[in-house]
Parts: sequence; C-alpha cells; structure tokens
Amino acid sequence: MADGRNGAQSPEEQVRALFEEAESNTSKAFEELVSKPSFGRLMAMSAENTAALTRVAFDMVDLLWRNLRLAGRADIVRLSRQLHRNEDKLERVLQEVESLRDEMTRDREREEARS
Amino acid sequence: MSVIERVVRFPVNALEYTNILLTTDDANVGTTPKEVVWTHRETTLYRYRSANRRYQVPLLLVFALINRPDIFDLRPGSSLVEYLLDEGFDVFLVDWGYPDEEDGEMGLDEFVCDELDWAVRETLRAAGAEELTLMGWCIGATLCAMYCGLDRDGRRAPVKNLVELTMPIDGRQSNYAKWVGDEDFDVEQVAELYGSLPGGAIDFANKMLKPVTNFWTTYRRLWDNVQEGTARREAYQTMAKWVGDNPPFPGRAWAQWIELMYRDAGLVRGGVRLRGRSVDLRRIDQNVLVITAGADHIAPRPGTMPFFDLISSKDVEHLARPGGHIGLVAGSAARKELWPEISQWLAERSDPRD
Repeated sequence: MADGRNGAQSPEEQVRALFEEAESNTSKAFEELVSKPSFGRLMAMSAENTAALTRVAFDMVDLLWRNLRLAGRADIVRLSRQLHRNEDKLERVLQEVESLRDEMTRDREREEARS
Repeated sequence: MSVIERVVRFPVNALEYTNILLTTDDANVGTTPKEVVWTHRETTLYRYRSANRRYQVPLLLVFALINRPDIFDLRPGSSLVEYLLDEGFDVFLVDWGYPDEEDGEMGLDEFVCDELDWAVRETLRAAGAEELTLMGWCIGATLCAMYCGLDRDGRRAPVKNLVELTMPIDGRQSNYAKWVGDEDFDVEQVAELYGSLPGGAIDFANKMLKPVTNFWTTYRRLWDNVQEGTARREAYQTMAKWVGDNPPFPGRAWAQWIELMYRDAGLVRGGVRLRGRSVDLRRIDQNVLVITAGADHIAPRPGTMPFFDLISSKDVEHLARPGGHIGLVAGSAARKELWPEISQWLAERSDPRD
C-alpha cells in the first residue's frame, strides 16, 4: 500500500510510474518518427499502392459481374451520377421558382400598400 | 486498491471493459430534436426545435468533411447545440452526409458555391432573416472563410458574424504537409482511383499523427478508469462512436484540399478560384471570432494566425486557449469555460427579438 504520509512510493506505484514514463517516452518517439519526411514518403507510397490494388480488385470483380449481365458497381455509380445531375437541375429550377414567388409576393404587397 | 483486490476484481473489470468497447456503437449521439429543412444530394440542413428563440440572427453550424457534425450535439449535458438553444439562439446545422463513389467529382467549389451557399439561402428563408451567423469547425471553418471571401460581383455574403473554431488556413508547417506535401505523391491519381477516399483511411491517417496516444493510451486509460471505478461509460462511448464514424471524403475535394492547404497555401498567397470566381479573404468584413487550441496537432495555431493579417473586419476577437483540436470545444470543461464566452460574443451581435 502507498505510504502517503512520508511521500515514499510503494513498489506498485513505482512500477506504475516507470510504465507511464515509458509510455510517454514511446509516445514522443513515435510522434517524432511520424514527423520525418521519410515516414511521410512511406505513407504516401502505401496510400498510392493501396488505392491502386483496391481499384484493380474492384475492377476485376466488376468485370466478372458485368459479364454475367448483372449490374455492377460501375453501373450503379453511373446511374447515381445521373440522378445527382437531375437533382442539381431540379434544385436550380426550384430556387428560380421560389425567387419568382417571393418577387410576386413583394409586388402584391407593394400594390396593396399603394391601393 | 491493493494488488489482491485488483486480481479478485479482474474478471468483473474485464467484463465491464469489453462491454464498454463492444457496445460503443449503441451509444446515442446527436439526440437533440431537429427537423429537416432542406436536402440536396447527400447534404441535409437541419433546424433544431426550440421554444426559446431570443435572437433574430440565425446560427448555421458547419462541420468538416471528415467525421460527422454530431460533435456539435454529442450527448445531453455535453452538447453545444443544446447549450446554444438554451441561450436562445435559432440553431441550424448543415450535415454533409455520407458521400460515396458517385460523389467523387464533388470539389471544394461544389461545397462552397453550391451546398454551403444553398444551405445559407435556405437558413435565411426558414428563419425569415437577412443575415446569419456562420460557425465553422476545422475544414468547415475554412469552407466558411472561403464562402465569405468569394467574389459575388460586389455583393457581400449574407453573413453578419463569422465564428471559426480550430481553423486551418496554412497547413504547410503541419505533419500532414510532410506526408502529402511532396509533389511525388500523386493526389489526383489516388482521388481518381478511389472516387471518394474511404473514411477509415482518413481516420487512420489522423490517428497516425499521435499513434501511441490514439492506438494505445486511450484504451489503457479506459482500463485504468474501469479498475478504479471511475469510468464514465456514456462520455467514453459517445466520443468513441463519433471518432469511429468516418464518412468518405469526396476524391476531388480531397485532392483540392491537399493542394490548397499543404502545398500551395492558396488562401494565404491568394489566387484561389472556385468556378472562376476569386476567393480573397480580404473580402471578409464580418464580425469575426476565432478560437484556436494550443495543443492542436491537426490545425496548429500558427497555421491559423495568417488569417488575422488577411481579413478586413474591424470587430475581430481571438480566443487562444489550451486544449486539443476537438477537446477544446467538445471536452468536459468547454461547457463552463468556452461555451459561455462564445454565447456572450454571439449575444452581443445577434439582434435580440423585441
């Protein structure tokens, strides 16, 4: 048990303090490591390779799928993009309608105020 | 607690520890009641229900393109949204949703010129106001700054107040720049290959900035707290759930962000154009409140400071506080320290209702 009266540490507390110190030092060492340009290069190349491999794997599965005459991911993405384009146009039309309606309301209010 | 006690309690503690970790996904985040005002593609604009609106200028919250905006409304008692509603503000939130591969073509221009612009428009319509307060956090703060700095043929953005929380403006000194700043790293290719960058990959990169803290110390601390009987299950789970909820980052926007922030620092140097319209931070003349965190490793304070030299605002306040990128605004101390300061600053500039 800790002897708090004279400030001495129990063996358990000493082990804990050592562990926390080691953890803190490891943390600092890793932070230093990840801030090195060489680590950055490693990360960048890993990201490029992972992206390329993922794409190759997806394309292969997609090719197989489409040869079975089933809609693949690429088809769904293409359809979704078309839907997005339609939604964009609809949004712009809606905004025009709303501003026209606002304008008409303002005109009506102005005329009412005049009469 | 003695060693013997620890050994005896080990099975119970281990059970509680694993239970906390395994049920994290069941935690409820973002529970303040809200209504959908407008949707477009993946974007949704919400308005929080309130019977206590005391200010005329509505407040629009904008979060980053990574992680979810639920951090504004983490859990009852620890929710900035809940606090602002109690203070009488009319609070709106723009949620970017979960972009997928088909949204890979969305760039910063889409987010600033369309999504944010239209969210502002809808907020003003819903609130019946002429101007609003924009409150951005992280990338969301940068998007807000770009929105206010966008050329509108001489017209001013309908923004009265601009609140920027831990905002990156020039990231060239950050660790990210060491990772992705090298021209050899072909961001365009990675963006094209993925369509939208997987949220998990973005999260992994963020965690690698402080690997031991994120992959080990967080879990070790939770174990210590469980052993000592001081584990705050709800607080841990809501934050852990938020940290682990990572929507994909649209590829084109990601590539533009890397270029803008870590290679070119275009916002500081000038010359940024969105859809052919220039973005110049000197156009920002709104009332500005900037909050920076001393221990922010994602948007370090020196990367925010150039903002003050660029803007034209006369009413500028900077709250430089200790704390981390997220903990400063969402941590347990924020409710007593930072939120009242934000609320007071807003109250003085948000036109009380008669």
